[in-house]
This record gives sequence, structure tokens and C-alpha cells, in this order.
Amino acid sequence: MSKNGYLQIHDPLKPKGQAVGIDLGTTHSLVAAVAQGKPRCVPVDEGDSLLLPSVVHYGKDGGVITGARARTLAGEHPTDTIASVKRYMGRGPDDAETRKLSHYKFVPGANVVRFDVAGGNPVTPIEVSGEILRALKRRAEAHFSMKVEQAVITVPAYFDDAQRQATKDAGRLAGLEVLRLLNEPTAAALAYGLDKGSQGTFAVYDLGGGTFDISILKLVDGVFEVKSTGGDSALGGDDFDRAIASQVFQALGINEPSPSIVAQTLAASRKAKEALTDAPEATVTVGGQSHTVKRADFDAWIQPLVNKTGLVCRRALKDAGVAAGELDGVILVGGSTRVPAVRRFVAELFGREPLGDIDPDQVVALGAAVQADLLTNEDRQDEVLLLDVIPLSLGLETMGGITEKLIQRNSTIPTAAAQVFTTFKDGQTGLDVHVVQGERELVEDNRSLARFTLSGIPPLAAGMARVEVRFQVDADGILSVAAKEQSTGAEQSITVKPSHGLTEEEIERMLLDSIEYAEDDIQARQLREQRVDAERVLAEADRQLREHGTLVQGDERAAIDAALAKVRETAQGKDYLKLKEAVHALDETCRPFIERVMNQAITQVVAGQSVEDY
Amino acid sequence: MRTHFDVFGLPRAYDVDVPALEKHYRELSLQSHPDRVAQADARERLKALENTTALNEAFKTLKDPVRRAFYLLKLHGVDLDREDAGAQKDMPLEFLEEVMELREALDGAMEKKDLARVQTMGGQVQGRRKAALDEAAGVLRALEGGGPAEEAPAQVRKASHALGRVRYFTRFLEQVDAFEEESLS
Repeated sequence: MSKNGYLQIHDPLKPKGQAVGIDLGTTHSLVAAVAQGKPRCVPVDEGDSLLLPSVVHYGKDGGVITGARARTLAGEHPTDTIASVKRYMGRGPDDAETRKLSHYKFVPGANVVRFDVAGGNPVTPIEVSGEILRALKRRAEAHFSMKVEQAVITVPAYFDDAQRQATKDAGRLAGLEVLRLLNEPTAAALAYGLDKGSQGTFAVYDLGGGTFDISILKLVDGVFEVKSTGGDSALGGDDFDRAIASQVFQALGINEPSPSIVAQTLAASRKAKEALTDAPEATVTVGGQSHTVKRADFDAWIQPLVNKTGLVCRRALKDAGVAAGELDGVILVGGSTRVPAVRRFVAELFGREPLGDIDPDQVVALGAAVQADLLTNEDRQDEVLLLDVIPLSLGLETMGGITEKLIQRNSTIPTAAAQVFTTFKDGQTGLDVHVVQGERELVEDNRSLARFTLSGIPPLAAGMARVEVRFQVDADGILSVAAKEQSTGAEQSITVKPSHGLTEEEIERMLLDSIEYAEDDIQARQLREQRVDAERVLAEADRQLREHGTLVQGDERAAIDAALAKVRETAQGKDYLKLKEAVHALDETCRPFIERVMNQAITQVVAGQSVEDY
Repeated sequence: MRTHFDVFGLPRAYDVDVPALEKHYRELSLQSHPDRVAQADARERLKALENTTALNEAFKTLKDPVRRAFYLLKLHGVDLDREDAGAQKDMPLEFLEEVMELREALDGAMEKKDLARVQTMGGQVQGRRKAALDEAAGVLRALEGGGPAEEAPAQVRKASHALGRVRYFTRFLEQVDAFEEESLS
């Protein structure tokens, strides 16, 4: 692209396009960016909706549909239409979460969940999330008429390493450089904090579709310090829907409902839940039968779920060393905080009315956009800094299946810890290491992150070889491991086998696959970009001719008009290379004229200065 | 070796002005955090990661009087954080017996689900933990103050015993906490 053409001097493209913030949510996803100093969400679905339902439909012909249109297909194709995929990120097929009430078909075996969908290959949650991100990326590109290659993606603060890694991999599959994984509550606080320039200690209560998060943050001198965080990555508004659906099935005497009935009932239950925010009762209809749900009953059904959040909040306050009364504000995030019973509970728990003046659906995406801007916009670099924490302790399996904690939860990241392992047999050259995440004493009660073997240890007497393993957690909360044998100083090779993730090779293969069918996308995108370019050049040429028409000499005007017409004509076509040529030709034709315009401008400036000098 | 005190340019001492430390931490974070160099090359980003990791570790250690005490003791060669440290076996026998009795009493109260009794015991142990920490702090102040060199080994041992008690009491209080949390849920 001719970025430095004469007609384009005034408007250079940003080198890396527009950096965006993405809220990759369980129920819906949003993309936002900072423009003219303010974060705004971008329309991403039908009817200029800012919310893209996080639903992906796989068709028999291999086609992929996302958003509201995909959601309408869920009733008819329940197993080919994946909703709430976030719940499955970084999970194995045997996880409790995977076995909850749902209507998907899973491919047995393997350590990663695979959905059996139409169109040939089974897909992993990482690929499904990748499709959502790809849709957001495309729509943002269309909106800004600019490339979108860098993004801050938000994750629940309580996401473990495997879930974070899966999210980052999904970003890569969508062709995004993930600048940072940002915790959702931190993003929300950022959206509030910068608008109000406030200082103090805040609690962010985030109840989304599938996850609950609580964070205690302190803002002083431009530094947002997360004091503690807690949550439940398997608790959210979807559980409210399930609570309604189960009661409806019971009331209507429906046993062993088909996948299609489950999907329909869950959808109807969600509508009823939303209606109950304002109405005292709502009706759920299943296969011709109806059941009326009263708000008081609904409140009672979800009470145990809501109470679970209270326990997590008290622990977070304790970890932060803050009493509820010392807080300067409570911020609500997530659509599920619209449920009146939840609002009442939060107000009671913290002894104050929570803040809600930014739309709880948008606030996370807006905060992510602010962070993307902070990371890429040099002018804003020294304004604000976020200091996040690791949500769950990292540990190792020791003798007897006991967890030894290496990095405590709520440690500020980046952080690191080292552990020395010794051999226990003569001549031993390998050591198995099992990394887990969680607070429980027994390894089996925590999340298994990875197993790896330290190999190539020099054969020495038992206990003589000492291998130091260093665990580094980066600013995204993602773990990497390095090892060194202490007596020889030799770096050890480590092959980490993620317990519930994809290996580097698998990701690369998926990337290759996605590039193949992305070729058409690239053509379309280049045409779109070239058209925007052409429009700008045309506008600039018109302006110069209007303002400095007297500087056009001889038969120049005819040549310029012809070049202008050529650009207009090729902009209608589909060949971006031809359009690029026409833009270049126009640029060349205008060159002598524009040089005269600039010379005149310089002469005027010089003249102006000499007047001042007198 | 670069100590946590060096990271902040502070002299090695038990007493630290924590509000000033917090302010300094924020300033240093603003300078060195990886987010400051998100668009820079890999080497610069790695350097930022390492510097900030060291800064976070130093801050976490120095802002907390208990961690700070254990760290100073470690600089004197006694690492109580390690499970297999010989220093632990060095605790006086009568103290270990007392701890055993305390634990048995706690187990009994927890078995009976006697929350009030557990909380009373927690309160008492809290007081003893504070006394042990105060004693350790006094010894560490004397050590860092530069007394006669021949007294140092005895002082280190004294600090090690006091902090060993802190460690046992902390574990005890963790159990009390876990029980309280369970009872409230």
C-alpha cells in the first residue's frame, strides 16, 4: 500500500492497525476500542447489536455461523450449535463441568473436550472460541476500516493456567496477537476508575453467564493493585436457567428429555429469568405445556447459588485485609447482576448500594479497550498501570499425593519460584514432575496443569544430582518452566504435556488449517482496505483542487480528471490490485500540482515569519 | 548477591517504613512493568519480566513483618521455609510437646463442632504468636545493629527458635481459619 503518497501525508495509517479490547464472554462477546480518547463498543451483530451471542453453528457443508443467527439454529441442530463454550475452556472430558446438564455430543478419549459437530472434524473449545474471536475481529475491521491484529482479551480472574492458555491459543487461531490477558474485574475497575479519576479501595462483583468473580482492588497514584481475587469458574446465570429448567421438568413430569427439548427449555428458562427482573411471574412453555414461575420461587431456587458467592467474597476481603466497611465502592459486572435477588444480596453483604452506572454488559469490554490503548498508545504509557495477581496457588505433587505449594494465591504477577529436586536412586537420569493448581491439600482435589519429565540428568549417586526447577508466571498469569542441574549447570530439556490443553504442534496444525480457508478473507479484506484508501485519496484530491485550483497548469486538469475517474471506476470492481494501481497513478499525476501547493504554503509561512521579525 | 533490600536501595534492617515502601514500589512498578514495553522487542520484554518478578518478590517479603523476619534469618543462614531444614528439628522439646497438646485440644473442639471453643483457642494462640514475633524482632534488631560478633550465633539461634514458634502458631491459626470458613458456609 502506498502509505507515503503525496495525497496521504496528512493521514498515515497506524502501523499495527487498531488495537482492541475483547470481552470473550460465556453468553455473549463484545469488542471495543478507544477512539478520540473514549472507549466505545463496536456493533458486531445483526441490528447493530453490540453483543455477539457466543454461539457457533457448524453446518454440514463445513460452513461456520456465529452470533444471533447461530443461536436461532440451536433448537433445530442442538449438537452442532455450541453455546457457552467458555465453560469448557481448558477442561477435560471427565471434568464435573463437562458432565453437567447439556445437549452436546462429545468425542470420547483425549485429554481435551472435543465436540462432535456436523461438517467433518470434531472441534475443541479453543477452536470454537477462535471462531467467536475471528467474527469480532472481522467486524471491528469493517467498522474501523483498519486492520485489527492486536487485542487485550479478558478472562475471569479465577481462570486457572489451563483456561488462560486455552484463551490465548484461541486468540492465536483467530489471527490476533494477544497483548495481554486481563482479568475481567480489573477491566471493569479500569473502565470506572479512569472515567472518574477516583482513588480508593473497590470490590468488583462479577456474575456472568458461566462464571463468578470477586476482586478487591486498590487504586493509588495511577497504580491499580489487585489485593485479592476469588471466584468460582463454574457458577453463573446459566445455572439459574438450569435451576428453572429442572423445576419445570419436575413440575411437568418430563423425564429424560431429548437434547432438543433441553435446549428449548433452557432458552425459555433464560427468557423467564430475564422477565422476572421486572415482572412478578413468568411462563415457561415446553412442547405445548406451560408452567408459571413466580419470582419468589425463583429467588428461593437460586438462593443456594447466590449464597455460594457470599462465602467467596468474605474470603477475598480477608485475603485483602480489608473490612467490608472500608470499601469506597462496589462495582457490579455481568448480566446476572440484573437479577434483583443478586442485587439485594450484594447490598446486604457489603452494607452499601453497589455502583451500576456503566452498562454491566459493556463495562468489561470498555476496560479492555482502555488497557489495549494503554499498551499500544505511547502518549498514554505513564498514565495507569495494572498489577494483577495469580488467582490460585501453584504447587507440585510430592510423596503420597500431597500438594506442596510453591506460589501462593493472590501473589502479584509476574512472579516466580524455584524448587530443588534431588534424585533418589543411584544413576537416576530422569525425574517426573507434576504441576497442579488449587488450594487443597491432596493433589487429586486440585487441577492438574501439566506433567513433565526432567531428562538428561548426569548419572550420580542417589541424592547427588540436584535439579533446580524454576516456575515463572508472567503478567498474563501463564506458567512457564525451566530447569537446571546444579552440579553441572546443564540446562534440562522439558517437554510439558498439558493435562487439559493442546500441545504446541496441535495449535500450529490448526493455524495452518485456518490459513488455507482464510485466503478468501484476505482478498476481501485487502479490497476493503484499498477502497478506504481510495476514498481518502479522492477526498484529498477534491479538496486540493477546490482550494488551490488556480495552481493547476496547462492540460494538467484533463489528466487529473481522467485519473480521478479511473480510481472511482476501479473502486466499484473487485480487483484490489487494479485499484491500487489506479490510486498510485492518481498520486503520480497530481505530484507536480501538489508540489506547487506545498511550495506556496512554505512561502506563506516564511513570509509570515518575516512579518513577525519586524 | 542482590538482596530484597538492595532492590529498594534500603539498608538491611528489621524495621521498614511500609507506607514509604509501598509508594516506592508503585514508582518502580511504573518504570519496570512488562506492560510498559508491550511493543518492544523480546529481549527488552524478558528483562522487564525478570526485573518486575524480582521487585514483586522483594515487596511481598519486606512489606510483611513476618516474611521480613524469616527473610532476615535466612540471610543469616537459617531457612525455616524449607520442609527439611535441620533448624526445625532444633526446636526445644517442651515446646513441641506443648504444640502437640494444643493440636489435640483443637482437634477435639473441631470434632465436637464447638466453634466458640475453637475461636477462643484461636484468640489465645494469636496473642502468643504476636509475643513470639515481637521477641524475634527484638533479636533481629540487635543482630542487624551490629553487636559483638561472638554473640551472633547465639542470637541467630534465639531468633530461629522464636520464629519457629511463629511458624507453628501460624499453622495452628490456618486450621482455625479453615474450620471457621467451613462452619460459616
